[in-house]
Amino acid sequence: MKYRVLSILRVLGLIVYLLFAVFPLVWIILTSIKPINEVYSFPIKYLPSRISFDAYRYLFSFARFQVYFKNSFLVATVSALFSTSFSLMSGYVLSRFQFKLKHFLLLTLFFVQMLPTYLLMIPQFTMFSKLKLTNTLLSIVIIYTGFGAAFGAIMARAFFKSLPKEIEEAAWIDGCSRFEALLKVVLPVFLPNVGAIFSFCFVNSWNEVFTAVLFIHSDHKMTVPVALYSFVSKAGIQWNVMAAGIVVALLPTVLVFAIAQRYIIQGLTQGALKG
Amino acid sequence: MRKFSFVVLIVLLFVGLVFAETVTLRVIQVFTSPLRTKVLEEIISKFEAQNPGVKVELISPPYETAYQKIYLMVSAEEPLDIVEVGDWSLSALASMGKLLSLEPYLAQSQLTGHLVPGVLDAARTYKNTAYLLPNAIYVKTLFFRPEITSKYNLNNAPATMEQLLEFCRAITKPEQNQYGFDFRGKGYPTAFIDIVMTSFFDDIDPNCMYLKKDGKLIFEDKRALDGINFYLELFKTAPKDSINWGFDEQVNSFVSGITPYLFQDPDTVGLLNELLGSDRYRTAPLPLGKGGKAYPTIGFAGWGITSYSKYKDIAWKFLEFFNSPEINALWCKDYGALPVDMRVYDIDPYFKSDIFHGWTVMFGDTQHYQFTKYPLDNEAWSEWNELHESTMQQVLLGKMKPETALKTWADFWKKAGLGK
Amino acid sequence: MKRLRFWIFLMLLPTFALIFFINLYPLVRGGVISFQRLTVFTLNRPRFIGFENYRTLITDPNFWNIILNTVVWIFFSVLFQLVFGFILALLLVKPFKGRGLYMGVVFYPWALSGFAIGLLWSWILNGQFGILNDILIKLHLIKQPISFLSDPRFAMFSVIMINVWYGIPFFAIMLLAALQSVPKELYEAAQIDGATMWHRLVRITIPCIKPAITSTVLLRIIWVMNFPDIIYGTTRGGPAGATNILSVQMINIVYYQNNFGKASALGIIITGVLLAFSVAYLIVAEKGAFEL
Repeated sequence: MKYRVLSILRVLGLIVYLLFAVFPLVWIILTSIKPINEVYSFPIKYLPSRISFDAYRYLFSFARFQVYFKNSFLVATVSALFSTSFSLMSGYVLSRFQFKLKHFLLLTLFFVQMLPTYLLMIPQFTMFSKLKLTNTLLSIVIIYTGFGAAFGAIMARAFFKSLPKEIEEAAWIDGCSRFEALLKVVLPVFLPNVGAIFSFCFVNSWNEVFTAVLFIHSDHKMTVPVALYSFVSKAGIQWNVMAAGIVVALLPTVLVFAIAQRYIIQGLTQGALKG
Repeated sequence: MRKFSFVVLIVLLFVGLVFAETVTLRVIQVFTSPLRTKVLEEIISKFEAQNPGVKVELISPPYETAYQKIYLMVSAEEPLDIVEVGDWSLSALASMGKLLSLEPYLAQSQLTGHLVPGVLDAARTYKNTAYLLPNAIYVKTLFFRPEITSKYNLNNAPATMEQLLEFCRAITKPEQNQYGFDFRGKGYPTAFIDIVMTSFFDDIDPNCMYLKKDGKLIFEDKRALDGINFYLELFKTAPKDSINWGFDEQVNSFVSGITPYLFQDPDTVGLLNELLGSDRYRTAPLPLGKGGKAYPTIGFAGWGITSYSKYKDIAWKFLEFFNSPEINALWCKDYGALPVDMRVYDIDPYFKSDIFHGWTVMFGDTQHYQFTKYPLDNEAWSEWNELHESTMQQVLLGKMKPETALKTWADFWKKAGLGK
Repeated sequence: MKRLRFWIFLMLLPTFALIFFINLYPLVRGGVISFQRLTVFTLNRPRFIGFENYRTLITDPNFWNIILNTVVWIFFSVLFQLVFGFILALLLVKPFKGRGLYMGVVFYPWALSGFAIGLLWSWILNGQFGILNDILIKLHLIKQPISFLSDPRFAMFSVIMINVWYGIPFFAIMLLAALQSVPKELYEAAQIDGATMWHRLVRITIPCIKPAITSTVLLRIIWVMNFPDIIYGTTRGGPAGATNILSVQMINIVYYQNNFGKASALGIIITGVLLAFSVAYLIVAEKGAFEL
């Protein structure tokens, strides 16, 4: 009886949260397929009288969304790949070896998390401008990789700590070099965690807007969030287009997340516990 | 000079043709919107068609971040040839020393003589030198929705501020979601506060909106208090939510009819024509205040050339092209602005049509509508808007007395060296 | 041995070279700027003004109000994210049919950009045309629309709610992971002892996942402090400063006061506050469980 009540409560709780979490998503999807004259109608029209893909058409024709999409994809993938590999390297070393500067370096990783974007942005801009790197996708790839690598290293280190050292040592005895052991024995076991770090970095890079707005000038180099930001700017009240933009921008991150979700949870199980 | 530039041009064009090398002009705009970008691109492609070998790259940063981006880009000498300069950014950009004086070009150009009176004066705000060529002027006027107001038997636009308040009160019915004044509390509400406040005066300095003719700050005058109190009354006929409204929400509310009385710039015209249709709203001159006058300001925007540009002469050619009557007409019509070239008003009857009624009256009646200027060349201007907005919000919420706000404003401007 | 050292150096190099290049060097530059008068008028000729920027910031009558707002914003955001994230994790820990799909669907807010969230919610919460008001009125829960974002009594509550909506998934994922690693034997033993549900929660579950909670909460606090996107996108700190927090004020100083020196000074203050807080937090939190 008691369990009956509990399971009913559980289902109820899950449903309430589902509604809370999902209603904004439902609303933007509905808005994105409304004909323009129903977007502003008052009293509010919840369901479109007919389904219209005008907003999406507008997005991909006039606003060249496919170009922004490609840029974002490139930037997020490349920076996530680099930051994942860098953070695996440093995370491994920081978890396995003792050396002089270790604590200082660990603290640095945490400290970097505390720096507000706007404090760094203007010096970064001046620096990149001198290096003639502004208005290149490379510039934001570098910055995103840096941010990703720092946080990734914290995660990676926690993961590695939870991995028994014995696995590696057994491989050394079998005659593998340290690097071989890492590649052949540790990495496969570690794959879920790699997925977790990668998806974190990917999502963060995909969503970043303020740095990209300053560093990227040319239209054909803009990323998706920058383009969305341009829409709101002054008179950007084409809500159906905006909604379509949000939906399109959300697709890749949700996809990456859905694929990596299982691994993230597995990975964090080990990571979180060891802090 | 002209000959020289002509020779340079020919040489450049020649070089361009021989080596098939293209010159790329980089142009950055401030007031980005999808509509505006579309019009700009159309004009650019016309320019490119006329000038083989020249390519124009348009940079369109999000509006909110545009000024900062331009300041940083220009100060770092990032590759840019043409910069959109607004009245609000002119002094900052010019004082960096990175804008080219356009005086030599203006002296040669045949466009100069056809400019609407006052435009060049406005452009010479900083050190009496023109660092930009304005391509449009912006003056706020009253927009209203007859189809909404006529339901309450209000067919005409209010002629005075008193009447505006009366009309707004008459139609405000919160339970029917009907309100009067289209208020703005966020994102540069400065001009809205000032239009109402200065209408209580009759002795504003034509060179500075915040000074009286006797050289004293308006904030220290008793009439300023009346102005604020009146503004608070207007706010009562607006949705409470409007304290958090910016431009988008204002337009949204006007289009949906919730608030049928709106003060806005002509660039709203382009947007309203698209969202509402040109027959569902009208314009009227700004209502006159207690002082029997209204004090609009002439806002302007145009293109400036960077002092480090490699293609200054081609850049000027673009500016001239942009201001040629046909292009200027196209620009002002599609985007929504008042043309700077007098000939445009003759070429295109659109600018004499009903939609422009408000502006036509205001420009024609210099006795009641006295144009004045903001202290834009004062360094304090860049910090003024934030202070003005946040103190005004506190007054609107009843957290600050109007007297305290006026004192804060007076102190701010005195510290900045304004007023006796 | 020397080879090993070199190898360690090589493995660390990419990450820390990057951190130096894009974080630490700009931080030093930002620190220098914070002592300069650097506005749009003086971009090319900054001059040193000592602690003037810091003084203006701290003596601003609104400064302590901003600090208070920041504390409220962080405390309640993280508290509710933690509590609801934990409840959600508890509801999800036992597998059921469609759990994977459920999680895939409800965790999407985490994948949205802060910027898009601000946009989306300011539209939903709009006092005039927002759907939340419309729904509440249709359900007869309220009579007059509520100005969620423009009434100072509700604004902070509203932005915290948005942040909670956004942050629940993160906590739920982290805590779910931790919950799944609590040894089953512990529960079985408790069952034999006849412990109630509540006892099991308080005596076994929470102590077991405490390290995970401690570290997640600290990281979250740091992020929420430096996360102006939601507030900037909805109220920009208004109305009348009711939702103004340090990181939003920093953007306001950059965009609306055009004063880069002052903004940098505020950035240094934020960093200092976070650093001091983190050290205190780590000292108070169990040292044994939380190892850096």
